[in-house]
Parts: sequence; structure tokens; C-alpha cells
Amino acid sequence: MNQPTKLPSRSVVIVGGGLTAALVARQLTVQGVQTLVLERGTDRRDSAADRLPSQRDELRWAVHQGLMQDWSVQPYSLRHGRDEPSYPIRWMSAFLPGEGLGGAASHWNGHCWRWSRYDPVLRSHLEARYGKQAIPADMPLADWGVTYERLEPYHDLFEKLFGISGQAGNLRGRKLPGGNPFEAPRQHPYPQPPLQSLEAGLMFAEAAQRLGYHPFPQPGANSSGAYLNPDGQRLGACQYCGHCERFVCEAQAKATPELLLYPVLMKRPGFELRLRAHVLGVTYDAAARRVSGVRYVDLRDGREYEQPADVVVLGAFTMTNTRLLLLDRIGKPYDAAETSGVVGRNFCYQTCSGVELFFERRWINPFLAAGSTGTVIDDLNNDNFDHTGLGFLGGGSISTTVYNGRPIGSRLLPEGTPRWGTAWKAANARWYAHSLLLSAQGSCYPHRENFLDLDPDYTDAYGQPLLRMTFDFRDNELRMSEWVTRKMGEIAQSMLPDHMSAVEGIKPPFDTRVYQTTHVTGGTPMGTDPAHSVVSPHLQHWDAQNLFVVGASVYPHNSGYNPTGPLAALALRLGDELVDYTRRPRWLG
Amino acid sequence: MSDHPFKHSRWPASRRRDFLRQAAALAGAVALGPAETHAGDVPADATPSGTPSAPAAPAPFSGYEYFSPQEAAFVEALVNIMCPADAYTPNGVDCGLAIFFDRQLAGPFGQGKGRYLRGPWNAGPPQMGLQSPLTPAQFFSEGLRAANALSLSRHGKSFDQLEAAQAEGLLHEFESGGAASPAAVALADWFNALVYPLFVQACFADPLYGGNHDKVFWKLIGYPGLPATHALDMVQYRGKPYPGAASPKSIADFS
Ligand SMILES: Cc1cc2nc3c(=O)[nH]c(=O)nc-3n(C[C@H](O)[C@H](O)[C@H](O)COP(=O)(O)OP(=O)(O)OC[C@H]3O[C@@H](n4cnc5c(N)ncnc54)[C@H](O)[C@@H]3O)c2cc1C
Repeated sequence: MNQPTKLPSRSVVIVGGGLTAALVARQLTVQGVQTLVLERGTDRRDSAADRLPSQRDELRWAVHQGLMQDWSVQPYSLRHGRDEPSYPIRWMSAFLPGEGLGGAASHWNGHCWRWSRYDPVLRSHLEARYGKQAIPADMPLADWGVTYERLEPYHDLFEKLFGISGQAGNLRGRKLPGGNPFEAPRQHPYPQPPLQSLEAGLMFAEAAQRLGYHPFPQPGANSSGAYLNPDGQRLGACQYCGHCERFVCEAQAKATPELLLYPVLMKRPGFELRLRAHVLGVTYDAAARRVSGVRYVDLRDGREYEQPADVVVLGAFTMTNTRLLLLDRIGKPYDAAETSGVVGRNFCYQTCSGVELFFERRWINPFLAAGSTGTVIDDLNNDNFDHTGLGFLGGGSISTTVYNGRPIGSRLLPEGTPRWGTAWKAANARWYAHSLLLSAQGSCYPHRENFLDLDPDYTDAYGQPLLRMTFDFRDNELRMSEWVTRKMGEIAQSMLPDHMSAVEGIKPPFDTRVYQTTHVTGGTPMGTDPAHSVVSPHLQHWDAQNLFVVGASVYPHNSGYNPTGPLAALALRLGDELVDYTRRPRWLG
Repeated sequence: MSDHPFKHSRWPASRRRDFLRQAAALAGAVALGPAETHAGDVPADATPSGTPSAPAAPAPFSGYEYFSPQEAAFVEALVNIMCPADAYTPNGVDCGLAIFFDRQLAGPFGQGKGRYLRGPWNAGPPQMGLQSPLTPAQFFSEGLRAANALSLSRHGKSFDQLEAAQAEGLLHEFESGGAASPAAVALADWFNALVYPLFVQACFADPLYGGNHDKVFWKLIGYPGLPATHALDMVQYRGKPYPGAASPKSIADFS
């Protein structure tokens, strides 16, 4: 390769043009800090992806993953245990990182959570409640070094920017009917009322209430009405078309970075976006404990460029964030055998299970739905219930999972239905509009044998080693899933379905062929102890003063919620702290 | 979690009959296109009647891009077994399913778009997904060759010449992994990871891609299709039959 062309320096360079990048850039540029965003994908506004009728094409966008990372360029490899060979996942279905302006948040479903109040102090919380010995030695839970109260104003800001629809459950300590009683206290209600509940949600709520649980509507970024955000950007009202997750919303009714954040940024002086810029590395001076910029390929001319920067921020999703640190050896790679090193540790996923229900006489009409039209209970999530004597930690939110009626991927059939022929057709005709899925979105706590490193055998299209996952669902998660799923089965049973699928928790090994969630977390965990974390509570890399990392990669564990709320709050706070840092660079303490 | 390719078992025939009777009654109640006119005379067992009774016009044949004549014969037989003409739909060929297969294999999907195809190559556990150096189109053809070879050795005839029951039996062998096949082209993988998903897509994708001719499968299940601007519908028809389900619209209807 030719010597990379060196470009003029910038104050802050952000790798990735998704959600966190936009939020960091918003806080920086409003204070006049020069910011450059490098995104490997393109801008899909005004394309087939966000226009009718081409937007409503399940085969193109959902099945063939039209908006996702290109696996032929850069896949991940996997092994279920350290003693097994790894395999490149040649066509990944389990999780689907995004590519292009807006990142995965351009085609997300829109579920928008604040996590539990105790999530950022999970280790202390569990130790205080159950004693130090309750946390297994192979479960490296850690406090984040930041509290929920510190992040609350940023949660509030994010909810206002994205016009989140929902019902508050805990307003400054006051419990509100119809909301989530386990919610962390909020200073303000959601900016918009919740979305409509579906028939499935009404049925579930009725059953859950009867059993003493507390159902509430899923808070979401699918806009329940027309909305104007504090930056003057607009959302239309959701049309319940069932094309949210894996799709760009053509009605501009789902909050995304390219709809609400980037248009504002583009107008700000000092902001620059470079698309089709694939970042290959971060230039690191280990002795100085500083980075000097990044190297990227401009995919329009195929040439390599060196982009110097005063500050580098990695906002390129869990996997790239971790991989870039490993490629340039910024921080000591985690070694599971020795339990030493840090980069790659605390890699977590989500522990999901489902029960399918079939009702001859109820019209579920799954196509009249949106990404966040779930009805949820939080009673069995995380540490919202007493774990004494249960033999596991964590839990799951349980909800109706009726987000769309897309006929290739979302048709449910009773177990035992023939897979083709006349009887198969009859069953499809009979059950399509009359079935629903309940699912548990479970926590996934870290395990010392679950981690990320570089694959020794496989390389990507640029010749760089693939990121290798060593991951499986371990005992704690299997027991949790089994227990939570059984409880979900009880609710399901009490809804009196004509048929119901088997009630089974998640079973190992982790299966890449089945979509679960795109909630892979960890790899660059935050924390107060450099021996066990990659970045500080300020998201500053412990071994590179002017390098910051943001996104789900900084979570030391994964909670029983979708990940985006807290990582958005962390990104907004990081933006504010970087304004200060660029004026007075130092180790933030 | 829906129509899961790796989760299946069989029901007894009596249960299946039940199923059909109720399906017919139900279809009548919501006035679904094809079943509507035949609600009374759906056959009482699962045996296809052989006469297409659904009103949809056959798909205009437009020539195969990918298939050799032998492959075309195989696939036409396959889709007619998996989708026999019955009270619900015309046969698979008339539903455009073979054309869907052909177009998919000729196009970007078949040519391996978005699939990581670098070595080294090692056979792995199923959870790692297919670990074949072949593109989906190449894998399809190799599998088809192996399937035909099995058909010849078992029945002395190529797959397209088999009696329906023989063909059905072979498909079940592929599905369950019972069929002997060359190690590099396991027929169970071929059927479950490639053929079966293509079949489901052929039935339920937008007719733009050649299958689901005349939206016949959308009518069958009551999926209303486009434009799906349901802000009012979802309140008005919550818990009730949705009238738009009887006359779905597809991309072509809006183009
Ligand atoms: C199908 C789907 C549904 C989801 N639903 C929900 C939900 O309902 N609720 C929820 O909370 N979360 C959901 N998520 C997750 C949510 O999208 C992410 O949490 C969020 O987008 C994370 O923001 P980020 O900035 O870290 O990453 P992203 O928004 O993905 O942005 C990262 C960007 O970095 C770019 N990038 C990566 N590597 C490089 C490189 N080497 N060089 C240059 N650029 C690079 C990518 O192209 C991407 O645009 C969903 C995700 C998916 C895929």
C-alpha cells in the first residue's frame, strides 16, 4: 500500500456516523468545537430505502439485510469456548450492525429504555442485598463509576430530542398509574403519550394484572403524534405499518440520527461528515499515552488517508470499537486464561426466549402494529425481585412481541404443523391473524470466558484480522432464562390460548442463524479500576488520554432492556465533557 | 422464532383433518379470496385434489435465467409437491414459485452477495451457519445433482419423474437429514438452509420477485400488504377482522 496521504488536522474526530457520534457532535458543535465524523457507509435519505412503495419490501430489507453491515467485507468469527476452533460467520443472522449515516439506529425498532436505577452500580447493589459471596467468581460485574442520577438529565434530553412516546411510572419518586412502577425516578414525563396498545397487549395486560404484575406500554421512538423537538426537527405520526426494525421509516415517524440530528449538524459551522470513509486504525504512541489521529480508506478512490486529530472518539458500535483497540494494541488485550488484560472483556449479549400463542377466536392482526407497540412487565427483570435461593442473578422484561405482520419472517404456526403442502397452507390461513408471541428479553451478565479478541486465521477485505467472539450462554443465564421463561409460560397459560409452543428457556450453544437482538455489549467496559476496565467513568481510555470510547461497548454487563437509552445519555454527557477537555486536555478525574 | 426452519415434528392425520375443516370455516368467515368460493368443498383430508380450484390466473412464463432444463424440471416438480394445487392456491409453478427460485439464484443472492467467502474452510457445528465455499447458486445446483442421484438410485427415475408420494418421501428424508449425501453437499443443509427458505420466500415475498403470483399467498393468510398506513385502522379494527386483508396490494399496485 502507498504511504497514506496526510490530511489537515481536526479538533475532534469521531469514528462512526451513527447515533452516539451524532449526539457527541451535537454537544461539541453547539459550543463551536470543530468536529469531523468518519462513516464507512453512505447517506440513504431519498433512496429506495425510505420511499414508498420500495420501502415495504420484506425480501430486500429484512431478509437480504439491505441496510446492514456487508458480511463479505467484514464478518465476525465465533467459537463457543476457548478450547474450540473459530468459524467466520459467513452470513450472520443473530445480530445486525448497521452501516450508513445513522448507523443501526437508522433501522432500529425504537424501544427506548432507561435502565434500572441500580444498573450503573450493579455490583455494589447486589453485594449490599445478597452479600459479596452471591456474585460468582467467574462473573466480573463492575460498577460503572457513574450514577443514574448523574445521567438523568441526559436521559431527559435524549427523550426530548427523539420525541419518545411512553407513560411515566415514577415521576420524581411518585408512582404513576399505568407506568412502570420499577422505573428509575424521572424528573419529567415522556415528551409524548404512549403508542396505541394492540389487541395482543390488551390480552396480555389483562392476564398479567390478574397474576399481580404491572403491565405498561413499551416506551418507544415510534412517534405517537406529530412532534417538534428542541432543535426544531420534526417527527410525523406513526402509521403502524409494521416496517420499523430493519427498515428506514418513510413517514419520518421513527426517531433516527439521520432524521433528527445530522440535518442540524450539517448546518453548523465546524461540523464535517465524510461518508464512505472506512477507518482502519488509530495511530497510537504508547510511550506518550496519546493517539495522534486515525487512518482510513476513502472508498470513493480506494486510497488510504491519515487524519490527524487532537481528540479521537470511537463511536463505531460495540464490535468496531473493540476491534480498533485490539488492532493497534491500545490497552492490554484480555487474556481469559490468566484473567489479565482488559480489551475485549465483559462481552455480553441478550438472553432471549419466547412463547407463541394461538387463539382461534381472537383477531390479533399482527400487521396493525409498530416497532414499539409492545405491552411489557418489568416485575421479573434484573433485580426487581428477590433472588434469594434462586441460584442465579438477573432477569428479563416480558412483553408482547407483535411488531409487524411481515409474512416471510413473522408468521407463527403451531408446533407440529407440516412444513409444506395443503395442510401447511391451511394452517397459515388459520393462524396468521390469530397468533402472538410473548418474549422475555433477559439480562446477560459477564462471564470470564466470554470475550472478544482478534482471529488468528481469518481476515477481512482489507487484510485485517476478524474480530473473534468467544461466547456462549453460561450457567447463570441458562438458569435465569429457564426461570423467567417458566413465569412467562404461566402468564401465557392464563391467557387461555388454543395452542401454545413449548415453554423453554434459552438453550446453548449460541446460534448465529436465528435473530435474537442486536444488543451485543462490552469489550471496552468502563469502570473505576484500570485493571478491570478499558475506559474511565468519563469514557477516557486509561492508556491514551485523548482517546474516548462510547456506545454499548462500555457496558460492563447487559441489562434486561434494549441498550440505547443509557448509551445515548453517556454520549451526550461525553460531548459536554469533551467541550471542557478540548479547552483543557488532562486526565479527567 | 416464526416458521423456524430447525423446529418441526408431525401431527397425526386426524388432527390435520380437523385443522383443514376449521381453516375452511374460518376462511369463509373472513372472505379470503380463493378459499371463499370453496369453503364448503375443501377436501376432508390433506391429499391435493390435483385440480387447481383457486381462481388466480397462471403466472406468465418468461423463461429461466439460471436453471438448466434438467434443473428447471426438478424445481418445477419440487414446488408442485410443496405447493400442490388445492382449494388454497394454484400449483407451485402457477404461483410463480419456480421463477422466484430461478431469479433469486441468477441474481445477487445466488451469486453470494454479502456473504463472506474467504478460506480457510472447515466444517463446523450447525450454529455457525453454512461453511461452504460455494455461492448459494452453486450450492443449489450441487445439491440438486445429489438429490437427483439419490432419486435415481432409489427409484430408478429422476426427481421430476417420481410419483407424488415418492417425491414427498424424499423431501422428508432431506429435511430430517436421513438421506445419504456427499459430505461436501449435505442434503439436509441444502434443503433446510437453502431450498426451504427459498420456498417460503417464494410464497410470501412481494410478487415483484416472481413468486406469490397474484398475491395468492397474501390473500390466503389475509396479509393486506401495502401501503399499510394503519394509524386509524389499528384502533378501528383492533380485535376485529380487517377488511383490507381480502384484497392485498403489492409494490406493482403502487408503481
Ligand atoms: C435491527 C435492529 C434493531 C434495534 N432495535 C433497537 C431497539 O428497539 N431499542 C434499542 O435500544 N436499540 C435497538 N437497536 C440497537 C441500536 O441501534 C444501537 O444501540 C445504536 O444504534 C448504537 O449506537 P452506536 O452509535 O453505538 O452505533 P451505530 O448507531 O450502529 O453507529 C455506528 C456506526 O459506525 C460505523 N462504523 C463501524 N465501523 C466503522 C469503521 N471501521 N469505519 C467507519 N465507520 C464505521 C457504522 O457503519 C455505523 O454507521 C437495534 C439495532 C438493530 C440492528
